[in-house]
Amino acid sequence: MAHDHKHDDKKHGHHHYVLPNSLAFKVFGALIFLTIITVWTAHFDFGAFNFPLAMFIATIKALLVCMIFMNLKNDVKENSVIFFTSFLFLAIFIVLTGSDIFFRGDVYVKGPLVAGASKSKFKKPWVSTAELVAHGKELFGQQCTSCHGAEGLGNGPAAAALVPPPRNFAQNAGWKNGYKPSQIFKTLKEGIKGSSMASFATLPAEDRWALAHYVVSINPAHAKDTTSDLAAVGVDPSKDGMGGESSSPTIPVSVAMAKLAVADINVAVASSVAKNPDAPVGSGAAYYQSKCVGCHGVSGEGALVRNMGVSPKAYLKTGSLSGVPFDRFKSVVTKGLPGDVMPGYGNLSNAQLQDLYNYVKSAR
Amino acid sequence: MSDAHHGHVVEHPGSKPHVVAHHFNDADHEFDASKQGMWVFMVTEVLMLGGLFVAYAIFRGLYPEMFKAAHAYLSVKMGATNTVVLLTSSLTMAMAVSATQRGERNKALGLLAATVALAGVFLVVKYFEYSHKIHSGLLPGGLFGTEQNAELIKNFPKAPLFFSLYFMMTGIHGLHVVIGMGLILWIMKRTSAKEFGPHFYTPVELVGFYWHFVDLVWIYLFPLLYLVG
Ligand code: HEC
Ligand code: HEC
Repeated sequence: MAHDHKHDDKKHGHHHYVLPNSLAFKVFGALIFLTIITVWTAHFDFGAFNFPLAMFIATIKALLVCMIFMNLKNDVKENSVIFFTSFLFLAIFIVLTGSDIFFRGDVYVKGPLVAGASKSKFKKPWVSTAELVAHGKELFGQQCTSCHGAEGLGNGPAAAALVPPPRNFAQNAGWKNGYKPSQIFKTLKEGIKGSSMASFATLPAEDRWALAHYVVSINPAHAKDTTSDLAAVGVDPSKDGMGGESSSPTIPVSVAMAKLAVADINVAVASSVAKNPDAPVGSGAAYYQSKCVGCHGVSGEGALVRNMGVSPKAYLKTGSLSGVPFDRFKSVVTKGLPGDVMPGYGNLSNAQLQDLYNYVKSAR
Repeated sequence: MSDAHHGHVVEHPGSKPHVVAHHFNDADHEFDASKQGMWVFMVTEVLMLGGLFVAYAIFRGLYPEMFKAAHAYLSVKMGATNTVVLLTSSLTMAMAVSATQRGERNKALGLLAATVALAGVFLVVKYFEYSHKIHSGLLPGGLFGTEQNAELIKNFPKAPLFFSLYFMMTGIHGLHVVIGMGLILWIMKRTSAKEFGPHFYTPVELVGFYWHFVDLVWIYLFPLLYLVG
């Protein structure tokens, strides 16, 4: 196979671009200039624009190197496609990982927490039966022991951090709504304002009745409901049903998964409350260890609150807090969240709050 | 000149002839294929470093204040010096390639030697930076000197993470610098042996790509690590 070399050489000349030194120096000058700009602009605070600006300048520099020094400009288009595709994949890699990590906490639990059978097993759940009490006991172990303790004596692992403390069900004094089943049912529906006793309205009504009967069983001296007590919570004792409440709630996937992980969570709860890294006294870390760790976990993983079926904002570890400005933090921590489990700690000074804020942000 | 068994031979007066590998149609085919192979290799480099850049993005997003506080322990002066050193070495490398293309062998050798020397300067600066970090206990993860840096660790318990990223990213980059120096020395040896000229300079150009890539990575590492705003 004979080859015409002249032809080859012509092709050579066409393909093989030689970078003129003058252009090389110009590009070098531009690169040095841009480096100076980057260092110089770093002295100013452009807030949220700092980072994009630095990356923008770096990208111009990178393009100059690629296009001129590596001569991608005169190269076949294929090579540009090959090379720049890698950055596309890098972007996908970063964006998808980021969207998971930073927004995981924003998956709010909407709707009831527990999947109920579409039809209630219990025709008149306000009438206590051994079966209902047993069911209530089981639910209590999952939802309430973290605050009220295994025997309902108000001495759960989170109790120490709570003001007011959780109710001791064996005592008759101090009840706000009252200790009749219907009154406990109401507590579970509405929560107790200004305390960490949250509403458990996301539980199906029959489960709330079961819980109420179990709580009553802890101190059998507690009174029975009268017809008017029942009427107060919308129950007509002569008819079957839930007293106007649906018992066929839906369950979001995330909650189903959380339920599956309950066993695992209980281990986490036990271990995270036990740990108490020696933090300097009076520091944000120490305060966190004494007041917040019970609910938010050692490093913000939401140890106990995960069991309470409340908003995933309690997972301080996820990005949900990264957007919480200090003002909001201050208001949440000093006043608590009304109608929610998050209690308020009004006695903190601004400096203490700032220290705590730094700690919480770093603990994530 | 062409031979069905051994492929083409390309020549330039005063240089050794280059025999085109037999599976290529001609010298251009060989050149283009080699170059494309190099671009594909650089894609794998981007994706390898990509893992670290993702880790960086995630942790910076989670601990913005910590990054700001920890980055203050790096020396912007040294980082900026090294940026200028690497950019200059990219210039000498690019000029070494074009000198080879023009058949100016001695000039090419001088420029390649300058590139290696600049790479050496980069590593010396890096050595000073590293030894300062090591003495101050600014080390990754469990190696971090908690007593030496009590104030930092008290306010930002996750600070060792920044230094894990710093050492991992600059360490892998530094490894590339060392490998690049080896490659340039190899190219210098072959240039002295008169293997390259206007007829054949593929290895010079491809080692040049590698070197520019090392520069490219640093262009991003510098603002990401030294200039956290
Ligand atoms: C986050 C901690 C916490 C959890 C979890 C919790 N409680 Fe409470 N609960 C409290 C606190 C605190 C009080 C006391 C409120 C007060 O005194 O204002 C309380 C009070 C009560 C009362 C007394 C209301 C009254 O009339 O005074 C009942 C009944 C009750 N809880 C039942 C439950 C049941 C059943 C569960 C599980 C479904 C549960 N609690 C889960 C913290 C909790
Ligand atoms: C009794 C359990 C409990 C304790 C103790 C507790 N928290 Fe919370 N905290 C919660 C729950 C539950 C939420 C989520 C509430 C919501 O999003 O509705 C929450 C949310 C928060 C939020 C997020 C608010 C937002 O808007 O995203 C902050 C900040 C917070 N807690 C800080 C603290 C700090 C600091 C302490 C200790 C001083 C503390 N918490 C103690 C239960 C608790």
